[in-house]
Amino acid sequence: MLYNVHFGIYVDVAMPVEDKSKSLLPFLSSPKLLPDESEAEFQSGLQSLLSELDNPSPLAVALVSQLNECLWWIRRHTVDKELLLHEAMARLLSREGSNWMGSGNSKLSVALEHYLNGSAYKDEVALIEEALIDANLTLSDLRAKAFKDAARHIKMVDDLIHRQHQTIRHLQRSIDSIDYKSRLIKRMDLELAALESKQSVKGALTLDDKSS
Amino acid sequence: MTTNPRRNLANRCNALKSTGPRSAAGKRTSSQNSRKHGLNTAPDFESSLEYRALVELIAEEGFSGFACADIAAGLLNYRRVMDAYYDTYTSPEPVDEFLRDVDVKASIPIFRELLSPSGSEPNDVREMASFFTSMQRQERRKGGPVSRRSADAHKLIRYQRNAIARLSRAVRQG
Repeated sequence: MLYNVHFGIYVDVAMPVEDKSKSLLPFLSSPKLLPDESEAEFQSGLQSLLSELDNPSPLAVALVSQLNECLWWIRRHTVDKELLLHEAMARLLSREGSNWMGSGNSKLSVALEHYLNGSAYKDEVALIEEALIDANLTLSDLRAKAFKDAARHIKMVDDLIHRQHQTIRHLQRSIDSIDYKSRLIKRMDLELAALESKQSVKGALTLDDKSS
Repeated sequence: MTTNPRRNLANRCNALKSTGPRSAAGKRTSSQNSRKHGLNTAPDFESSLEYRALVELIAEEGFSGFACADIAAGLLNYRRVMDAYYDTYTSPEPVDEFLRDVDVKASIPIFRELLSPSGSEPNDVREMASFFTSMQRQERRKGGPVSRRSADAHKLIRYQRNAIARLSRAVRQG
């Protein structure tokens, strides 16, 4: 069972932003984590992404936060691909062993999950080995069959991962454009300042000429 | 939750006879049954405090008035979609283990017993059994929790695509 865990990702700690009170993040809903995920790991990922930017603007920080969330979703979906295979393996085992009735199916799924993680108890190992013999399959045969069985859902997860990659590309382009814009503004400011100083020097020179 | 298979079957058979809610409140509640994520409704960001605060902060970065409004709305819309994505992912349709695992053929005597007080014909029993078989097929096709949440999240791809395209366009044209 999954529970919604809300926490605020207000990047206060060592955030390389000029003025923290100007952050956009408090006005946007924060990305949420699943109960078994580490908040510290999420934050450190965000910090490392932010550290790659040279003095990011508040909008760039908001976009980097979205990008970090996309990377997190890719991780989740990658784990899901393996879980889908496990689910299909359990389904096939129970079907081959005609074990649909009663709680056999859920018991078998739990046992198989432990067996594949290498944390199965003796009775769980015995159950899985018996089911494999019943179904006349080896573990690798079962995995191959399960891959075929779960292909439709694995394709869906691949689509989800692809979507996150596309989103990251969009966000990167947006961040680049903000960065370019701020550089352009800085450059124009410098050029303007240079022109102004040149003109003031020229003005001073002409004044000197007139007076002499 | 009923654990007795006989009672569970009886409850489901009785539920099939239901004609739906009668009261206005019941109808109002059931009208929201098919609501999944609410992303098809047009959001009103402009009247929110967050929107105004975002517009002000973005304006300080040198964007034009129109661009600030677009970027703020784009950001809020993107967050709305990602929140719905998370909610969909974390609360998939639960697996109906009873329906998935029930042996329909072995339940035919129970159907007969349940339907006999109304003097049912064997046809009724057959229809009930075939109805349960088709429901079971659908339930099994949906797979386990991971398959369900992947399938549910997959339905939100187009909303994500539109939201990020809108945000990215607003930032780059600003």
